Amino acid sequence: MRFEKSWIIVRKEFSEFRKNKYILYSLFLMPILMAVVLPTVYLVPISTFATPPANHPLDLGISIVQELQGSNLSNGTAENIRFFNTNLDNMIVYKCEFFNCSIVNSVVRDSNLTSSTITNSVVEHSNLRFSATTDSSTPGSLFLGSQSESEKYLVLIIDSLLMFFVLIPAIIPTVIASYSFVGEKLNKSLEPLLATPTSDTELLMGKTLAIFIPSVLVTWISLLPAVIIVDLVTYPILGYYILPNMIWIIGVFFVAPLFCILSVLVNVIISARVSDVRTSQQIGSIVVLPAIAFFIVALAGIVVLNEVYMLLFGTAILAIDLVVFYVALRVFQREEILVKWK
Amino acid sequence: MIETQHLGRVFDGTVAVEDVSFSIKDGEAFAFLGPNGAGKTTTVRMLCCLIGATTGTGFIDGLDIREKSNHIKIRSMIGLLPENPGMYESLSAHRNLDFYARLYGVPESEREARISEMLKRLGIYERRNDAVGKFSKGMKQKIAIARALMHEPSYIFLDEPTAALDPEAALTVRNFLMELKKEGRTIFLNTHNLDEAQRVCDRIGVLKTRLLATGTPDELSSRFFGKSTVVGLKETNPDYLLALRQLPGVLDAKIGDKCILISVADPASQNPSIISTLVAKGAQIEYVQEVKHGLEDIYLKLMGDSK
Ligand SMILES: Nc1ncnc2c1ncn2[C@@H]1O[C@H](COP(=O)(O)OP(=O)(O)OP(=O)(O)O)[C@@H](O)[C@H]1O
Ligand SMILES: [Mg+2]
Repeated sequence: MRFEKSWIIVRKEFSEFRKNKYILYSLFLMPILMAVVLPTVYLVPISTFATPPANHPLDLGISIVQELQGSNLSNGTAENIRFFNTNLDNMIVYKCEFFNCSIVNSVVRDSNLTSSTITNSVVEHSNLRFSATTDSSTPGSLFLGSQSESEKYLVLIIDSLLMFFVLIPAIIPTVIASYSFVGEKLNKSLEPLLATPTSDTELLMGKTLAIFIPSVLVTWISLLPAVIIVDLVTYPILGYYILPNMIWIIGVFFVAPLFCILSVLVNVIISARVSDVRTSQQIGSIVVLPAIAFFIVALAGIVVLNEVYMLLFGTAILAIDLVVFYVALRVFQREEILVKWK
Repeated sequence: MIETQHLGRVFDGTVAVEDVSFSIKDGEAFAFLGPNGAGKTTTVRMLCCLIGATTGTGFIDGLDIREKSNHIKIRSMIGLLPENPGMYESLSAHRNLDFYARLYGVPESEREARISEMLKRLGIYERRNDAVGKFSKGMKQKIAIARALMHEPSYIFLDEPTAALDPEAALTVRNFLMELKKEGRTIFLNTHNLDEAQRVCDRIGVLKTRLLATGTPDELSSRFFGKSTVVGLKETNPDYLLALRQLPGVLDAKIGDKCILISVADPASQNPSIISTLVAKGAQIEYVQEVKHGLEDIYLKLMGDSK
């Protein structure tokens, strides 16, 4: 394996790509679509409906007159009381403080709630810290220090955007490879190439690298605008910059390149049997299915999209890459190309 | 030296080439003639280590084509012009040649000079920066020939180099091949064009799956048709034939249009006695000539015999 031979081929391929408008379109448009258009379209509407963050709690003017510890209260009213570990049911509460309490079927106003659960209730003009609401409304209230509903939703959407960053480097190669391999086959330019003193592996490596490099570069370059847009749109809601995070770094720098290689190799195998650029692109797009399946599973909440899960996914793709590389090497042999490629 | 020994190739049950043995000396030009599907392309591909042989083997400069470890070395010694030029159509003529020069490992210092020289010799230097896709078939073919020669190979395989060309372009290519031959390169030419084979090549092989014959055109002519002398006369007379047939070494004699055709074993020794016999009979001789059978006659006879 002489790398300089492969590199000569890479440079020739680049010269050809520069003359092919379809390849240029896909290299420019795909990332614009996926890194700029989609995040904007997805995130902007959500962010306009989301509750803004509350850095300053509401000034409620509570003056505590009594503290209650671990009791059960129901069917009554309460005012200026501090509750610890209390269960409240069917209460009307005004200017109180709650710690580790459970509030059911109640109306709460001008209160501070910390680490409490609120079910089937109305919490009006209050401060909620680390508290979860179920079947309740919170008009005029602020969520402090915990994930609000809209924040949870935003995080999910941002995770799903990562899917596109794994998809870009898998889709671009289907376009480039269809021209690079099927084009070369239709043009009959493989035979003189095969007659040169280069090995099959060097040729395959050259052609693979030529597709891999621009696909991955374009993905990485589109990461920057995507991160900026996501952060700009979500910062007012979240109060912090959500990207880049470890999941995205693993996704974009580990999983995406491996996916790209998979896509190139699958396309090599396809072009051995297909002699039309469009068909090759259509069949080649099948490669994106595992990525889509993976993210559907994650987004549907069947598993939580975290670093470990991302790493496992990447490792699985790596294993598939190795198998497919072996197959591609068998398909990309002089004898095979000249005798069997139709 | 290019050599094959019982070389054969089968594709999924179809015998493409069978038991082909020949050898071509260094500096020799060899034409491979044969009808469509004869196995010419298959033979060339085997010799260029592009596809394997099913039986027998071949040697390029003593290197066995069956040995995978020889392949890169063999390929660096040969230049191949395949059936289809297969240029990168979006790239310029110069870029195409530059790519191949690099792949063939032409040193940086010589690359430019060699590309320019080749383009000039083939008369396409002015269009070196145009995309090859805009070129005519003839020009593409010329670039493809230049491509095969970038690394100055000692062995050149050309698969029907003039098949798609107009007579003028074909002539340019043919003259170029003659120049290559003068430079001492070994040429292996697949062709359907008998005239081309005869002009460019020293020796000929006729292939139809099997190798039907090899030799120089003269050898083949005398092997398949014998040798004959034609004597032009003012008037012919059947008596002449009788007298001639008596002569030793004369195999047959026929009357033609104001001439007599005489098959002889060895024209050099028989011709004097033929002439003196005819003169003695009172014939008025206008000319005496040795008859050579053209390659076309030989080829058609071989094809007819092989049916
Ligand atoms: N890849 C292949 N698969 C199956 N059969 C093949 C293949 N390549 C060639 N053949 C068969 O081998 C035989 C010889 O073909 P080849 O191309 O060598 O002939 P050729 O002399 O070059 O003909 P032409 O003058 O038409 O170029 C033919 O019968 C052809 O059908
Ligand atoms: Mg042929």
